[in-house]
Amino acid sequence: MTYQETYAGRRSGTTSPHGGRSAARMSPPPALPRRGPAGRRTLTALFWLGLVAAVLPWWLDTPAGSLAGTADALTAAGRITGLVAGYLLLVQVLMMSRLGALERWLGGERLSRLHRDIGATLLVAVLAHLSLIVVAYAGLEKKSILGEVGTLLSDYEDMVSAFVAAGIMVAVGFTAIRAVRRLMPYELWYHLHLFSYAVLLLGYGHQFSNGAQLFESGPVRTGWIAAYLLVLAALIWGRVVAPLRFNLRHRLRVADVVAESPDTISIYLTGRRLNQIDLLGGQYFRWRFLNPGCWWQSHPFSLSAAGNDRWLRLTVKVVGSHTADLRDLEPGTRVWAEGPSGTFTAAHRTRERALLIAGGSGIAPLRAMLEELPAGAALIYRARTPADVLMHRELDWLAQARHTSVWYVIGSRNDSGPRQVMSPEGLRRLVPDVTRRDVYLCGPSGLVDEAVRVLRQAGVPRRQIHLATFEL
Amino acid sequence: MRRAVLAITGLAASTTALVVLKGSPGASHVAQDLPADQASVAPGPRLTPGPGDSTTGPASVRPSAEPTTSRTSGTKTSTTAKATAAPKTTTSAPKTTTTRTVTGPVVSYKYGSLQVRITLSGTRIVDATGLGMPQSGGSAMRSDAVQAQYSGTSGEVVAKQSANLNTVSGATYTSNAYKQSLQAAIDKA
Repeated sequence: MTYQETYAGRRSGTTSPHGGRSAARMSPPPALPRRGPAGRRTLTALFWLGLVAAVLPWWLDTPAGSLAGTADALTAAGRITGLVAGYLLLVQVLMMSRLGALERWLGGERLSRLHRDIGATLLVAVLAHLSLIVVAYAGLEKKSILGEVGTLLSDYEDMVSAFVAAGIMVAVGFTAIRAVRRLMPYELWYHLHLFSYAVLLLGYGHQFSNGAQLFESGPVRTGWIAAYLLVLAALIWGRVVAPLRFNLRHRLRVADVVAESPDTISIYLTGRRLNQIDLLGGQYFRWRFLNPGCWWQSHPFSLSAAGNDRWLRLTVKVVGSHTADLRDLEPGTRVWAEGPSGTFTAAHRTRERALLIAGGSGIAPLRAMLEELPAGAALIYRARTPADVLMHRELDWLAQARHTSVWYVIGSRNDSGPRQVMSPEGLRRLVPDVTRRDVYLCGPSGLVDEAVRVLRQAGVPRRQIHLATFEL
Repeated sequence: MRRAVLAITGLAASTTALVVLKGSPGASHVAQDLPADQASVAPGPRLTPGPGDSTTGPASVRPSAEPTTSRTSGTKTSTTAKATAAPKTTTSAPKTTTTRTVTGPVVSYKYGSLQVRITLSGTRIVDATGLGMPQSGGSAMRSDAVQAQYSGTSGEVVAKQSANLNTVSGATYTSNAYKQSLQAAIDKA
């Protein structure tokens, strides 16, 4: 089976008598203007500026040539790693604060990758700080390592809580290792991970009672406390105030639940002032359906249609117990939503044309994005069987309205048709200008990983590839 | 994950670089100009380095400017060599004719040892500082607290012109050692 003979074949320009559900106004909205990388660059600059500002007090406080012996050098290294760790901890919490600017400039996917990488660095920094200080002080006071730990715990203020904080951090870091994490249910892992907030609290005291740069009142101490307060404010704003405001304003309710295929449902939501939501196709919300079975769980799902002033729609594949419960949602059920989040949108493209590659239910955000991309986009839709193809009427309608080429590539990963398409040559044959396009990928991680590899082989630059995966 | 490894390597490298740059005793002057750039460049590999580097540029100007003045008065102008050092440090230049420094004996106490050096203009104490005070952990805090209260051109020593100083709370041993060395220095002067 080659791709020419696959189900439905090429659909560009096909007229559909029904047109599917029209997703928005009948005249297609103009393509979204591009947003530059200015927001992301500003945040990167702020991060580095903050890091320098965190270590600068040590630099200014330490006379040159004053680190005579090994113990002095170790103490200094311990202080630097301590300052870095204190700063990174604040960055970690800030990144998880769901602050609108972060979610829209960096995007949830990039945030979670950064959170993991910075988390690993933070853990190493904390352990280095702890061991360097203990070894250095033991050397200075001519004690054994264990004796020094005892002295630190008994004679120094706030050190018991600091050691507890370090212990929690090690535990959280350990459970975040992918192999370990897979062994436990998501909910358990999530609640264990919440203990990280305790680290913020328990580690706070010792920085000020024992930190060489912080124990004295002055601009450094004031600045450090201000940084804590800022992060706390961001946390309260992003996690409490902003969602509260959004939900009081829009009051979303379930309007209908529609089966798209045997194992996929679409949930339609209505609410107030839907035209005022600053929403881009491809973004997601974290949804909490307020009925007895589901209210305690919050899950991210993409919208499967661009913003319009009548309804919102999310399309969900039934894979677990929570998604199974969603099939039985009653119309009128209240919905608590946090968002919109994500940089997987037409506005974040770097070129004028785009290639979208969807796998299975990964079509949802791409379907929403199609309404906002400039004409000339291309969509490759991978599905295992024809029955797994979702919303193909809508796609046909969009293909016509927005001059988009759509290919359905059906079959398992090892069939010759899909294999031929998912190769550098195959992609180039379908989309000759693939290297000059932005490529948006959404689907199962196996497909996404493979597609990224093939695209890189075909010569598509990394920054033109956009991914929507929530898995770490 | 590759980025995490890079970040951790960057952390280790830049921490070592900072310590080495501060620690090299001979090259104190060179070290003050050089590390300012180094400090901002060293953590580079951790993320996309582009914008981070350009913004750390202006911040890196300050550390090289500030410490040179405070440091030279703190460590470089030791007990002798006043006249030769004077042209460099603008603060002491106008009063080179009458100022002299006297250093008290080394006094050992519970957390380490220290000695006090005073600068006199005629018979008046115009500056005082503790030398060799312990710089580790809790001891460092006591050292710093005592330095902050007693030393400097506007500290308690200059204000009271004697070794009859208020004890710094939480740093009794350090205060007493300081006073002992100071008294000896005043007696010598």
